[in-house]
Amino acid sequence: MSKIEHDRTHHAAKATGIGDPQCFHGEAGPAKFKVGDEVRVRNLPDLFYTRCQVYTRGAVGRVTEVVYESPAAEDESWDNTDQPEWFYSVVFRQKELWPDYPDLYENDTLETEFSERWLEAP
Amino acid sequence: MSESTREQVMRHLETVGYLQPALHKPQHAPYPDQIDHNLYRAYTRSAHDVGGEPDVPITWEEKEEEQWELNTFATCECLAWRGVWNAEERRRRQNVDLGQTQYLGLPYYGRWLLTAARILVDKQYVTLTELVNKIDEVKRRHEQD
Amino acid sequence: MAEGHTHPAAPMVDEVSDFEVLEMAVRELAIEKGLFSADDHRRWTEYVHTLGPLPAARLVAKAWLDAEFKKLAVRDGVKASLEVGVDWINGPPTGFGTPSDYCNLRVLEDTPTVKHVVVCTLCSCYPRPILGQSPEWYRTPNYRRRLVRWPRQVLAEFGLQLDPGVEIRVADSNQKTRYIVLPVRPDGTEGWSEDQLAEIVTRDCLIGVAVPKPGITANATRPVHPAVHPVHHEH
Repeated sequence: MSKIEHDRTHHAAKATGIGDPQCFHGEAGPAKFKVGDEVRVRNLPDLFYTRCQVYTRGAVGRVTEVVYESPAAEDESWDNTDQPEWFYSVVFRQKELWPDYPDLYENDTLETEFSERWLEAP
Repeated sequence: MSESTREQVMRHLETVGYLQPALHKPQHAPYPDQIDHNLYRAYTRSAHDVGGEPDVPITWEEKEEEQWELNTFATCECLAWRGVWNAEERRRRQNVDLGQTQYLGLPYYGRWLLTAARILVDKQYVTLTELVNKIDEVKRRHEQD
Repeated sequence: MAEGHTHPAAPMVDEVSDFEVLEMAVRELAIEKGLFSADDHRRWTEYVHTLGPLPAARLVAKAWLDAEFKKLAVRDGVKASLEVGVDWINGPPTGFGTPSDYCNLRVLEDTPTVKHVVVCTLCSCYPRPILGQSPEWYRTPNYRRRLVRWPRQVLAEFGLQLDPGVEIRVADSNQKTRYIVLPVRPDGTEGWSEDQLAEIVTRDCLIGVAVPKPGITANATRPVHPAVHPVHHEH
């Protein structure tokens, strides 16, 4: 029988007294985008798991906050935490997301977060 | 002329709105040439990604919590506290790996619970044999009450 | 049944459900195998019992009374939470935050021209350490499907209609950030104490599906689906 040994201590060792995502601070290198940048959401393959919502793909928004560093959810969900990325909060106009959004409510917006891999310059 | 990304996104959202739990047998194993990109995307989608799908107005309700639901929540958080998994692993397993039918067909905490059972087996903390024997033991314990 | 008793009738046979059987099996096995202790489980349950919307309501009330605190709340929600007794990092039994709620609270400030409302389209992420457990409707696929695309219609169903010129901003909490809404302080609250102000900031106001009003100190009445074996409350 082959039995895998699991290390159950690594997250507590890294994050106790520090918090999550605080414990990944400094690990992602320089941020590619800054507040105010226009960004487009990439339509990358999303086999098996993603937290980048399909309804955002191909849409163009504006970075409103550079929020924290963390492993991307696509990796953290398999406990692969060696390569954190910068995360960004991006605001979209609702009319950019939904072709049938009423003109009457043209000021409406939506804000959601992306790890850096999902964003590109438009 | 190929579809734009936004057109693909809109068509995907409409298509997955037609996926529902079903008791009758759907068509089995179609030929590959019968699955276009839109259907491939629909079948391989992450089931939790429901934002923007059409749905109808419903009555918004509150719910009284079951004791087993609170116990399940505590179990899942304790498993993460003690390093068996992290919350993102739990979400991936609980909200996507479970599959489209269980995702929409099971109660919210039913998914948490099945996923907690599954992680114990997947990471070899228990064998499946130990799990089913324990379920059987608990069942018989309560039949005797 | 006693006259005036409004509790729904219990099932005739007190059956244990498949879910209850599996829950016991999983918890017993996890404890037997040393994955966590019975004491861990009891401590987590006790921790959950301490959680509710009052700290978030007090955070809003403090922000209404103190412009500098409001700026702190918007700039650093985790630091501001400390002033209402919520330590996102050290408060939970883990000492590193709750596994599911992390340590990145953002307070979304409403203005006369911007109204926020929160959803998690992917699951039901919610700021439990400062707001308690999420309501059932927040977890439904229905709310998660519709709020991001038809926010005005959904808010109208909750009894909230806003001027077309107001920007409704839907916050979809899809990663590690957790949100509460800091609503606009309503008219008719001049001279109120922090306690009086906190009383009108309900859970629904903090999610963004309601706005605070003098005299309204509870969430709107909705049907409540009863539990078969509800949570025991020893306190």
